[in-house]
Amino acid sequence: MNILEIDRLSKTFGDFVAVDQVSLSIGEGEIFGFLGANGAGKSTTIHMIASLLRISKGEIRLLGKDITKHANFAKKNIGIVPQEIAIYEDMTAYENVRFFAGLYGIRGSELKERTLEALEFVGLGDKHAVYPKHFSGGMKRRLNIACAIAHRPKLLIMDEPTVGIDPQSRNHILNSVKKLNEMGCTILYTSHYMEEVEEICTRIAIIDHGKIIAQGTKKELKAIVTDQKNIWIEVRSTENADPGKLREIAGVKQVEIEDRVIKFTSDAGVNNLNKMIQQLMADEIEIRSVEEQEPNLESVFLTLTGRSLRD
Amino acid sequence: MRDTLWLIRKTLISTFKTYKNWLFYLGLPLLAILLAIMTRGHSEDVRVNIGIVNEDGKQAITLDTIAFIGGMHSTNLVELPKEEADEQIIAGDLDAALIFPAGFSQTVKSGNPESVRIVSVKGTEASDYVKANLNRYIDNMTLISKAAGGSESKFDRLYAEYKASDFPLSAETLQDRSAGHAQAYQSIGYLAVLMLFAAGNLSGILLKERENRTYRRIMASPVSARSYVSSNIIVNLAVIVAQVALTLGVMTQIFGVKPGLPLGVAFFLLCLYALVAVSLSLAVAAFAKSSMEAGALQQMLFFPTSLLAGCMFPIAAMPQAMQSIAYFLPQYWLLEAFGKLQLGVALAEVIPSVLILVSFAIFFSLTAVYKFGRNQDARSFI
Repeated sequence: MNILEIDRLSKTFGDFVAVDQVSLSIGEGEIFGFLGANGAGKSTTIHMIASLLRISKGEIRLLGKDITKHANFAKKNIGIVPQEIAIYEDMTAYENVRFFAGLYGIRGSELKERTLEALEFVGLGDKHAVYPKHFSGGMKRRLNIACAIAHRPKLLIMDEPTVGIDPQSRNHILNSVKKLNEMGCTILYTSHYMEEVEEICTRIAIIDHGKIIAQGTKKELKAIVTDQKNIWIEVRSTENADPGKLREIAGVKQVEIEDRVIKFTSDAGVNNLNKMIQQLMADEIEIRSVEEQEPNLESVFLTLTGRSLRD
Repeated sequence: MRDTLWLIRKTLISTFKTYKNWLFYLGLPLLAILLAIMTRGHSEDVRVNIGIVNEDGKQAITLDTIAFIGGMHSTNLVELPKEEADEQIIAGDLDAALIFPAGFSQTVKSGNPESVRIVSVKGTEASDYVKANLNRYIDNMTLISKAAGGSESKFDRLYAEYKASDFPLSAETLQDRSAGHAQAYQSIGYLAVLMLFAAGNLSGILLKERENRTYRRIMASPVSARSYVSSNIIVNLAVIVAQVALTLGVMTQIFGVKPGLPLGVAFFLLCLYALVAVSLSLAVAAFAKSSMEAGALQQMLFFPTSLLAGCMFPIAAMPQAMQSIAYFLPQYWLLEAFGKLQLGVALAEVIPSVLILVSFAIFFSLTAVYKFGRNQDARSFI
């Protein structure tokens, strides 16, 4: 059963079309990745799902109910972890979670229980009496999540929940996402970090210029780029590397130089590895290793949009 | 309603969690009363210092009038030139100056007395006492002049008889409440300023929550935008009404200052003014894009208008042009109503001031609603 169905959803601001005829569906129990560069329409779509923005055209249904007509039902069943940390610095971690959970009508011992449970879940159980001003960035992000889950939403929207945090907190958050999902919560997850999306998401949609340009499982998306191969050649120094000459090699579509790695994107059907090596040797570039990369979401995104996700 | 109560609870708890806010909302009004008591003196031996500028020379009627004023209870009289009188009034050494124009005596005899000018920067409290007695004295002489029918000899005779006549007089000492009234008036003036800043601070919570994005979280919950704004208005009004009740209570019960009008009426007037303060603060929040901008707007609006309206010192101390501006300020109408009631007028006489305050509250509320409605960032508030 689908928990969320979006049908030809559009949002316009004056003449500007921020979201254009977006249609997608998320099944119950999925972790759904929503990818797009800045300004692609991700946040606008998310804000419409969370009833923070009015819909210009189209329909959003949560558990089969139109969210415009059943706004309270939708709001009660959705939790949102905003990209920006949205907590009160003058309230303790416990008070923050308790207040936001209370907005959903939970009171008394149940409220206390759920507040402590949410804090425990994000690993802040022992910090419940601490004010967020004493928290690290990662801890604040975790509190940001706790405030969104205490009312036990059926759909949790997580908008870039790991931006700017240390690897330890990131791992904690990713594990929490997986655990929440195991507990039955469906998750709509957006991130700039492809590896995160690749690691946790079951299905993914890519949005660009307000339109969904691809959606499916990781396998289905990667299949889009099976006509390509990615060859990474590590060299001692890229000083003498000439991207222009390297691009002239038959089959090569793109050449990127990052640190001491020259990344070739090439037609899968052309056997041109020898020529790549020959050119590098001719330019007196010492080769250290050669590796053919499996297609990943980054390359899928690059192929579909012509730019990197972080551009 | 449950949602609104939950929001009210949170705002109250986080507001009164810090001692600074206790001091700001409830401590400052008490300091204001103390300041008013210190600056507006005590009821014992309140004397009015009057300067006399005699441009009419040694005319008998003028000299008699001056002598009459000199004989009034609680007045200190000093004769001096006009320039010096101006300087002493500005310096605060004189409460008022009376200027007897040249030919004053003659105009009295002719039955059409020229006005004696009264100059004061301390307002009616300093000049009314002298003015009332002076008018009575001049009125008597005008009646004598009319009875004389334009004959100077007849006037002189009647005037001599008037001066020589004996009047039975029984005197009873009454308690002087003017200083207490002045203290109460000044306390209300200071409170009016503090109420504006308190309302501004509490409305600023809407902007702060927009800045720290918590309002988006609240809007994503089943709480409606109306409940959200209503909760802020309710907290705002509750805090300000508590401020009013505390101020009136402490002023009358602890410091023993009598406001000069029934406490219930004073409370009603201040509650009405609280509505004005809250609606004005909402309008400021609607116009400001950030809490910093709101703070700057409040500083620009609240303090200067309070000065112009006479909250800090009598508006009579300002030039006439500046005094006219006060009519456009709500603080002025609060003090106007308060002052009139202290003088003992009937309640019906302050209805115009009350209606003007209501109009201010409606105007500011409508401005806030209109501006919030047009502001893309804050549209979800309404």
